[in-house]
Amino acid sequence: MLHGYGGHILRVDLTSEQIRREKTDPDYMLNVIGGRGLNSTRLYEELERDCDPLTPENMLLIGVGPLTGTLLSASAFMTISGKSPLTGILGDSAAGGFFGAELKLAGYDQVVMTGRCEKPCYLYIADDHVEIREASHLWGKDIWQTTAAIRKDLNDNAVQVAAIGPAGENLVKYATVACNNSRMCGRTGMGCLFGSKHLKAVAVRGRGRLTVADTLGYLDLCRELDQKIMTHPEYKKRNALGSTLLMKALNGIGILPTDHFQQGLCGYVDRVSGETLAEKFKVKNKSCFNCNLHCSRYYLSGEVEAEGPEFETLCSYTSRIGNNDLEFGLKMNAFLNRMGLDSLSSGETIGWAMECVQRGLLTRDDFDGLDFTWGNCQTVEKLLGMIIRREGIGNLFAEGTRSLARHFGKGTGEYAFHVKGLDMICGDPRGIKAFGLTYAIASRGGDHLRAEPFFELTERYDEAEKRWGIREIADRLSDNGKAILVEHTERQALLTDCLTMCKNIGLSMDILDFDFASRLLTAGTGLKFTPEKLDDALKGVIDKDRKMNIDFGVTADQDTLPRRFTHEPLKEGASKGQVVPVGRMVKQYYKAKGWNDQGVPQE
Amino acid sequence: MITLELAKCSGCSRCEVNCSFFHSGKIGRSGARIKVVKIEDIGIDYPVVCQQCQERYCTKCPEKAIEVGALGQVIVSPTLCTACGACELMCPIGAIELYEEIPLVCDLCGGDPRCVKACTLDAIHDEADVSGAVSLKDFKKSSRGLSPEGKRLSYAMTLSRELRDSWVAERRG
Repeated sequence: MLHGYGGHILRVDLTSEQIRREKTDPDYMLNVIGGRGLNSTRLYEELERDCDPLTPENMLLIGVGPLTGTLLSASAFMTISGKSPLTGILGDSAAGGFFGAELKLAGYDQVVMTGRCEKPCYLYIADDHVEIREASHLWGKDIWQTTAAIRKDLNDNAVQVAAIGPAGENLVKYATVACNNSRMCGRTGMGCLFGSKHLKAVAVRGRGRLTVADTLGYLDLCRELDQKIMTHPEYKKRNALGSTLLMKALNGIGILPTDHFQQGLCGYVDRVSGETLAEKFKVKNKSCFNCNLHCSRYYLSGEVEAEGPEFETLCSYTSRIGNNDLEFGLKMNAFLNRMGLDSLSSGETIGWAMECVQRGLLTRDDFDGLDFTWGNCQTVEKLLGMIIRREGIGNLFAEGTRSLARHFGKGTGEYAFHVKGLDMICGDPRGIKAFGLTYAIASRGGDHLRAEPFFELTERYDEAEKRWGIREIADRLSDNGKAILVEHTERQALLTDCLTMCKNIGLSMDILDFDFASRLLTAGTGLKFTPEKLDDALKGVIDKDRKMNIDFGVTADQDTLPRRFTHEPLKEGASKGQVVPVGRMVKQYYKAKGWNDQGVPQE
Repeated sequence: MITLELAKCSGCSRCEVNCSFFHSGKIGRSGARIKVVKIEDIGIDYPVVCQQCQERYCTKCPEKAIEVGALGQVIVSPTLCTACGACELMCPIGAIELYEEIPLVCDLCGGDPRCVKACTLDAIHDEADVSGAVSLKDFKKSSRGLSPEGKRLSYAMTLSRELRDSWVAERRG
C-alpha cells in the first residue's frame, strides 16, 4: 500500500471530456518525489516542445507533494505547471492555502489537463467522482465571487477552489490562479493558461484520510520539525509580520527596490513597512493548512479587506513604483487578488513605464494620455483596469514588460527588468550576489525561489566554512563561492517544491535538509528515499528542466541580468558601490553543475 | 469542554489534523471531531466542536447509543449505534457527523484534548465545569434541513459577528 501519496494521477482531456484515473507508480515517484519534480518530469516526457502555449496542445498540471495533507507542518502548497504563456519557457507557480491538502484527501497526487473546453467550464473533483461542469454563469466573475458561487452551486462551503479572474479569461499573459481567495499561483501566467483552456476553476472536495507508513516514527519527525520552527530565532517576527518584514530588512541593507531599482534605499519606508501595516490595519493572523508559523495576515483598511499582502506585492505597489501611500498598496492587493493579476509582473510594467517617462524616452502620448509620474495612483488604478480588459494601451501592457519594450524600442529595453521574459522580483541583486546568480539561471526566469540562497544573508561565517569550506558564502556582498551555494540551495529549493512545502520555512528558516527529508519521506511513504536517491532525483529534475528550456530556445547568453545590475553601482546605503559580476558567476555555476560552458547538461 | 478564543484563530486546522490522527492514526478533515469553518470573504476561521449544550439534542438517540460522560463529553456506544443518523440530524451546529457509518463527536480525548495541545496560537482551551452552560436553542430552528457543513457555517457566521464588529470599530472607527 502506498502511504502519504494520494494514490492516483487524474488525467482530463478537456476537448474530448475523457477522464481517466491512473494509479500512482511508487517506482516512478522515487525518481521524481512529487509536486514540482513530478510536474517537470511529466512535461519533460509528454509536452510537445514547440506548441504555442495558448493552444490546446499545451499541458496544465497541478501537482501535490507526497506528505501534503498529513501531519507535516508547512507542506500545504500545490504547484501548477505548463509551458508559460508569458515567457514561452518552463512555467510553474505554487501557492499555499488549503487546495493542495484537499486534492490529496480526494486521492490525487497530480491532475494532468490537456485540450480545451468548447464552452467555459470548471472541473469538479469529489473523491472518485470527477466531472466537467459548465461555467458560463461564472465567466466574468472575479475570483472571490467565483469561489463563493461554486461553493453555493455545490452547496458545500468546504469545497476548495482554485480559480481565475477576468485577467485570466482575457488571456493577460501574467494572470494568476488563486485558492482561498488570496493564495496566489502568481508567476509565469498559469491563469492565462487556464483561460486559454476555457477553464474557470478546479474545485475539489476530499473526504478520504491519509495514512503514513511508520506512524510513530513519522509523528516524532513531525514534532521535531515543529520544534525547529517554534524555537527559530525569527519565529516571533515572522509570525507577526510574515514576509512583509522584508520591507525594512531589505531597506536596511540598501536593496529595497525604489523608483524601479534606481535606488536601494526608500526614504519613506516607515510609511509602507510591514510594521506599519500590522500596527494600523492587521486584525489577525492567517495560515495555510497545518502550519504553525501562521505568517499570513488579514487586514481591514478604509476601503477594502483581504488576506495578505506578501512582501512582493507590498513592495511592487509601494516603493518600486514610487508610491508612499500604504492604503493604496492594500487596495491594489485586494484588487489584484480579485481580478487574478500577478503583482510582480504588473508592477514591473508600471515601473518600466514610469522610468521611461522620467528619462524622456516615452511620453503621455505613447500611453493613451496616462500620466506615469512616480507614484501616480490614479494612473496605476486606471491602467490595471485597462490591462485586465485588454483595452487601449492596456492590451500592450497585458503582454508583459519584455514585449512592451520590444514594441516601443527606442532604448526602453534597457529598463525592462526581466530575465527570460519573467519580470524580476523585489530585491536588488547588487547587494545579494547569490540571489543575482539565481535570477540569472532560474529555470522559470527572473526569480529567487528556484534557489532562495538565503544563507548568504545570515553572516554565519563558521557555518559556511563547515558546510562548504568557504567563509565568504555567508557574506552577501562577496561573489566568492556563491555558485556553490546556489548549486546546493537550488537542490534544496527543488526538494522543498517536491514536498510542496513553504520556502520561507524550508529554506529561509533553514529547516529542511536532505538527510531529514529522506527520513521524513521514508517514514511517511514507506518508500526507500535515501539521501543519495533524493539527490539523484533532484539533480535529474534540474537537468530535465534545463534540457526542456534549451528545447524552448534558451541559450547561455540569456543566463544574465539586465544591464543596470551588472554595470551601474548602487549609489547609497549598505550596498553602495555594488554590482553583480554575473558573467563569471554563471560560468562557475555551470561548472558546479557539471554542465558544459554553454550551460548544456552532459550525459 | 472545548472553548475558543476566536480572535486568535488563524484557521490553520492543526486542531483538525491532530484530532483525526489521535483518533484513527489517519489524517483528514472527515475523520476529525473538530472542524474549522472558513469564511474567507470576512476573514473568519471558526473551529466548530461539541458545545456540550444544555439541550443535549444528540442524546435523543432512538437506539439509546449516546450518553454523557463524567467530563460532559458525548459517548457513542459502538455496539448500540446503528448509524441511523438521528444524532447528526438533531445537532443544530454540525458538531456530530457520521463518517464511514460512525458518528464522530468530541470525546475530549478522554480528558487530554489533542486539539488544545496542537494549537500554537492558544486559541483553543479545555475548560472544566462549563458543561451545560451553552444553549443551542436559537440555532435549532434555523438549522433544519441543512447539511452538517451548512449548520457549521451558519453557526460560525452568527457567532463571529461580534468579532467582525470589533474589527470594523477598531480599524474604521
